[in-house]
Amino acid sequence: MFPADVGTSHPHHAIRPVLASLSPGAATSVAPIEYVERVLPNGLRVLLVEDHRVPSVAINVGYRVGGKDDPPGRSGFAHLFEHLMFKGTKNTRPETIDRLTEDIGGVNNAFTADDITNYYEVVPSNYLETLLWAEADRLGSLAVTEEHFHTERDVVIGEYDQRILAEPYGMLDELVNREAFRVHPYRRGVIGDPDNLRAATIDDVVAFHATYYRPDNAVLVVVGDFDPVEANGWIDRYFGRIDHAAAPIPRVTAEEPPQRGERRFTYRAANVPLPAVEYAFHIPPWRHPDFAALDVLESVLGMGKSSRLYQSLVYRQRIATGAYASADLREHAGLFEVRAIAANDVSIERLRTALDAELAALVDAPPSDEEMERVRTQIASSFVRGRQTYNSIAVSMVRSAIERDDPGAINHDLQRYRAVTPADVQRVARQYCTIDNRTTIEYLPQ
Amino acid sequence: MTHALIPLDKPPSPGAPHRAELPTPVERTFPNGLRAIVFQQRSAPKALGVPIVAAQLMVRGGASAEAGAEAGLAQLTSTLLTQGSAQRGAVEIAQAVDGLGARLDASSGYDATVVSVSALTSVFPDALALLDEIARTPAFAEHEVERVRTKAIGDLALTYSNPSALARLIAQRTAFGTAPYGHPIAGTAETLASLDRAHVVAFHQRFFRPDNATLILGGDITPEAAFALIERQFGDWTTPATPLETMPPFEAPAPRARVVILDKPDAGRTAITIGRIGIARRAPEYVAGVVATAVLSGYSGRLNQEVRVKRGLSYGAGAQLLARRSPGMVLASTLVDHARVAEATDVILATLGGLGAEAPPESELVTRKATVTGSFSRSIETIDGIAGVLGELALYGVPLSDLGAYMPNVEAIAPDDVRDFVATYVARDPFVVLVGDAQRFVHAIRLAHADVTVIPAAELDLNRATLVR
Repeated sequence: MFPADVGTSHPHHAIRPVLASLSPGAATSVAPIEYVERVLPNGLRVLLVEDHRVPSVAINVGYRVGGKDDPPGRSGFAHLFEHLMFKGTKNTRPETIDRLTEDIGGVNNAFTADDITNYYEVVPSNYLETLLWAEADRLGSLAVTEEHFHTERDVVIGEYDQRILAEPYGMLDELVNREAFRVHPYRRGVIGDPDNLRAATIDDVVAFHATYYRPDNAVLVVVGDFDPVEANGWIDRYFGRIDHAAAPIPRVTAEEPPQRGERRFTYRAANVPLPAVEYAFHIPPWRHPDFAALDVLESVLGMGKSSRLYQSLVYRQRIATGAYASADLREHAGLFEVRAIAANDVSIERLRTALDAELAALVDAPPSDEEMERVRTQIASSFVRGRQTYNSIAVSMVRSAIERDDPGAINHDLQRYRAVTPADVQRVARQYCTIDNRTTIEYLPQ
Repeated sequence: MTHALIPLDKPPSPGAPHRAELPTPVERTFPNGLRAIVFQQRSAPKALGVPIVAAQLMVRGGASAEAGAEAGLAQLTSTLLTQGSAQRGAVEIAQAVDGLGARLDASSGYDATVVSVSALTSVFPDALALLDEIARTPAFAEHEVERVRTKAIGDLALTYSNPSALARLIAQRTAFGTAPYGHPIAGTAETLASLDRAHVVAFHQRFFRPDNATLILGGDITPEAAFALIERQFGDWTTPATPLETMPPFEAPAPRARVVILDKPDAGRTAITIGRIGIARRAPEYVAGVVATAVLSGYSGRLNQEVRVKRGLSYGAGAQLLARRSPGMVLASTLVDHARVAEATDVILATLGGLGAEAPPESELVTRKATVTGSFSRSIETIDGIAGVLGELALYGVPLSDLGAYMPNVEAIAPDDVRDFVATYVARDPFVVLVGDAQRFVHAIRLAHADVTVIPAAELDLNRATLVR
């Protein structure tokens, strides 16, 4: 019901905010998002964006806690906890958030990623106060019964069965994280481990809420049709009265050491319709300046049917049924992933040779100006589409605030993409897509 | 608002609904007969305008214009539009769209076929040219016709394995017989097998002509620039000498209270679909119908409260209003255990009857109206969404000012309007369609209903109004 954003669920992430407001080489521009930022005395960071196109408002509460922060022996716990946040508080019955949204034509949902857990609602604007109350309420107290805990734990384990076991290639994302990271907890993924989840208790739930669900670990974003004076009054009233604990918030300090030498693995599994190969290369955190060139590299290689991988492997050579690239940028050092799924009867070796040739071509020569122009158009288009709805703006800002420590980044991204030169793309390909920095997974049918 | 009175342990009450500030559409008909409707998205101050332009080319001609023996032709045609033009093959079209960062789609409903595109303002003229290319010069290559048709036949198996989908198809035939909304929009194995390239070409020629088309175009563009762009792209589209087909409203059979059971012993649960022919989209009762449907639908709607929350008969129940060029159906549906079919049928009929007999309290209407205006608000957040609403208004001859008037019109619906709509168009002589393991419930149904038809699954024929081979 509340899908986790399992960092690497698809090589192209629908949820990560894509690029910023620039136009195809030429002149279209996007006005910056004007936001007002403040921090309440209890540490809650608040970002407000006022807009009156439609009488609707998006509310997002993001917490700086995700799969990487799962307690020891409790892989998948942050995601399980996200489900429990819908199961009642001191003041409300389970599913109150559903009733407060669906019953008035609104929607709500939540997702858990490696670094963040985000809860959101879109409701008619005259219900803003009601939903601010409800979000503050579940930050302030959580009252989950044993019965709901057990039911929801089964739901989450069922989700594992559905997304990881039943979905073709579902396990491959988990394997990539597990093998590419040796030290960093990113290796455990978000969806976690059913046995770990079965071992979880309601005491873990209480402790997790106390540790991470505190105002100084949260970002509240409201986008849409509201009066800022009124909204700030409600925010002070409902969120301002929540104290934060004195204890410091535990943070992941582990750093993945540089990889020195290729790691190669072959896995066989059920639910692999055709052989696949994946390369994962370590890349710096999202806040590193190379993020823009890496995103452009992703587009040159793998964005859509005009990309190099599709054109070469799928369309011209007909050796793959799908070929993808993804700059999986995270709060800590992430991965650049390249994946190809074989066409019938094509060997893994042939697929790898073709992938190697495409990567080598970018190491040897920069993309052409024409190609850069196309990619800039695609990136700008994708960015601008993400600006269309209140909720997509709110999600982008929450993610920027938490994963990049910079909510205003979305107002500069497009210039940063525009500034990427063909030589920059070649440079990041050369720097990161090396054999020594590569984890290779060959994923074969049983 | 006095904050001090709001207790902190209960959700605060909502304020008064806010008004939307929607764009004002402008229209013009070109000499070749093409009707153009353009709109400019509101921008700053305090509005996050985006540099996107979207267009929808809509031709009046969908599945209701195909003969019953050609069922599936409209959808086959629209699916093929993106699969090759005179200049480009399917993959080349996909690559061109992708290279522009654009989105291009084509689809058919019962009343219209729509081709839509959206792109950044700076590349929009190229994207519109692509739309024009696929709409005016489709290739309909033999091998693509064959591929799409084979896939469409294959997809039917999935539909037929789903009791709810089957109940819907049987409901259509039960309500409309051989009238235009009676046959399945996706066709049947028999009709699809009989369709070839010549049918597709003829269907395209019949409806894709400027005097039968409406182009909705808007977003980050002024009305003047939009009209100029449309003129440049479509000004040379010539009107054929053949007269334009007229599509008069058709006569549907009179509603009749009857039960049609499809005996499908392998169904996991029984699908119940209860309904009747309601209203056309242009009907003055349309907004009352929308609010009435909202009173019945959703988790807190009456059907779900009665069927699921109070009695645990199902995971969910809801209603649907299909208002079209001619009156479409109003449907109430759920999925229940075979053993509880008679009980659930009675509960649904009683719930519909109850709302038709007694006006709902004002307090119930407040939140049910919010479900309507709230989802409408979300649908018009995007430029595509606004274009979609305008397209529907244009197709059905509703004034374009309804874009802005819709939410106030919803707010203006009174409890009696809801009761009257349900009494007149839902609760009177509805049909009941049941798809499931008949032996588990047929006796109980026969005790309560006079006119009961049982069709064994093996004898079902969706090509015929009688539903049997």
